[in-house]
Amino acid sequence: MKGRRYFVDRLMRAIFLFAALMAAAMIVILLVFVTVRGVQPFLPGYPERQEILPFLSGMRWRADQGTYGIGFIIINTLISSILGGLLALPLAVLTAIVIGRIASPKVSQGLTTVVETLAAIPSVVYGVFAAGRITSLVDNLASLFGITTYGGSSQLAVIILLAIMTYPTMTSLSISGIRAVPLTLDSASLALGATKMETYFKVVIPGASSSIVAGFSLGLGRAFGEATAVSMVAGNALFGPTTSLFDRTRTLTSTMLSGLHETTGLDYDIRFSVGIVLMAIILLTNAAIFGLKRRFDKRAQGV
Amino acid sequence: MTKTFKGKNLIRTIFLFVVILSLAIASIACDTQEEPEPNGTDPQVETPENTDEPEPETPSDGLEIHVYTRDSASGTREGFESVIGFGGELTDLASEVASNGEMANQVGNDKSGVGYVSLVTNFEENNLKPLAYNGVAPSVEATVNEEYTLSRPFAYTTRAPGDYESDDQEAIVKAFVAFLTESTEGLEAVADAGGIVDVESGKPWDEVKADHPIVDQDNSHLTIKTGGSTSVEKAVQAALETFQVHAGNVQFSLDQTGSSDGHARVLGEEKDGPNASDIGFASRNFKDTEDVTDAIYSGTFCQDAIVVVVNADNDLIDDATTEDLYAIFTGQVSDWSDVGN
Repeated sequence: MKGRRYFVDRLMRAIFLFAALMAAAMIVILLVFVTVRGVQPFLPGYPERQEILPFLSGMRWRADQGTYGIGFIIINTLISSILGGLLALPLAVLTAIVIGRIASPKVSQGLTTVVETLAAIPSVVYGVFAAGRITSLVDNLASLFGITTYGGSSQLAVIILLAIMTYPTMTSLSISGIRAVPLTLDSASLALGATKMETYFKVVIPGASSSIVAGFSLGLGRAFGEATAVSMVAGNALFGPTTSLFDRTRTLTSTMLSGLHETTGLDYDIRFSVGIVLMAIILLTNAAIFGLKRRFDKRAQGV
Repeated sequence: MTKTFKGKNLIRTIFLFVVILSLAIASIACDTQEEPEPNGTDPQVETPENTDEPEPETPSDGLEIHVYTRDSASGTREGFESVIGFGGELTDLASEVASNGEMANQVGNDKSGVGYVSLVTNFEENNLKPLAYNGVAPSVEATVNEEYTLSRPFAYTTRAPGDYESDDQEAIVKAFVAFLTESTEGLEAVADAGGIVDVESGKPWDEVKADHPIVDQDNSHLTIKTGGSTSVEKAVQAALETFQVHAGNVQFSLDQTGSSDGHARVLGEEKDGPNASDIGFASRNFKDTEDVTDAIYSGTFCQDAIVVVVNADNDLIDDATTEDLYAIFTGQVSDWSDVGN
């Protein structure tokens, strides 16, 4: 009997280990694959060899002329994703407070379902909606200022779209963070004479800050990685960086996606190089967010 | 007390903010329908008293040109640029779109927009106005008659007689060319894949195949090899797939690499090399240097038409010449009222 239980225990352990290794191996395979492909255009011996510095700092992307510069695309991607995330963050946190603290159980259950449904909607659906509605909204807004747009395809349309798309991710994580703050803390705060609003903003939100920051960085990840919907409203400018909210923009993912099915050679391989840059940017942004949070936490504890 | 007020003020401010924001959005969204009226595309109706010269007053005067282009891997773009003759000179101000449908959608939403789509696009549904090219309105008939010339031929050529792996191979290639160019079934397959052909001119395959008895035997050991232009791939593959059913399960392999290989691998210097093909294709006419007189058959099996489109509300242009389009797409003119001057 004992021998059998021991055997089952070892077997399960091996299975779990295998599952964990599989997941880790996928990341490694992916990284290696993208890196090997993406580095090629810069290696000696490549037929139309590219230089790294002009690639990273270039302000024009003209595949038809063999000019591949992603400097302006990096800047545009950072601006649209971070502004989109920042636009969604306050809405997400306020929604989470309503769901986690203020609303009655029934209402909060209903709202949670809505948020979860929003998170599950495929991005191309958001794209179709954005290409029809958000762009005409932006176009009308621009005409109030006397600016003509490319049918509303603009930086602003991308920002609004990304705010809508990142909002559910940020909200769900904020909700679980806020629910994890013990109600006894609220009671203590109220007993000390704080109002409900003060309690929410000074006790509950700081208590849930880890989850909120995690939600923000996950949301930003979605914003950086969104390709289909974004390329439908970005206008895909050929040069940059974009300085006006109403001007067209171009993101790293939409650049990787456009014409991918029909192209070969350098124009194909260079998309992997863009992919490496994108992964690096996501890693750096996440590191920066958590670095900032650590600094704020330290300051808060110091005071 | 003061603290209580702070809390209440905060929530009140947020509510006010949300209410104002939604009101603003609602008012802007409602403007969508009424927007064209102040911009007056129909000056006669609005200003009957200014009967003398309402035209120059229209705000459409001074309408900026917004150029849209397909991505650089697109065959439509390649065709358009080669007919107008501005490869690589496209203006930097152009917007890139990823597909034919997206092009239609974007230009349909942008009053200043101009782009190019394939002839099968539904213009009305997308709020588009197709432009006549050098005075000829785009249509399937006009393209087939070669009156509408913003198009490119899909040309084919076979190997020389006797220059095949076997007599059966030669017979099956001849049968396929007949199927592709003469039979209703073949023409329909090409038309369904987006090629422009006169399906009416076709004869039923049962009639055509009388000259090609090879199709009645089992041909699964034979493989028709094609080469040349990548743009023809969809149409040729559709025809080959249909032909397979009608010709004893003959096999095929498409190795489309570019128009210049169409002649080279069939009649030119690569005709006996490892990439040799039975039929070569080019998405243009064969050049003078590409001699096809030795071929059993050569010619054009279909046309690919491209239509320049503007927004349906753009009343400043109906017809464009090659020079107009060159000027528009290279950025030499930036305003609709300057086109053609």
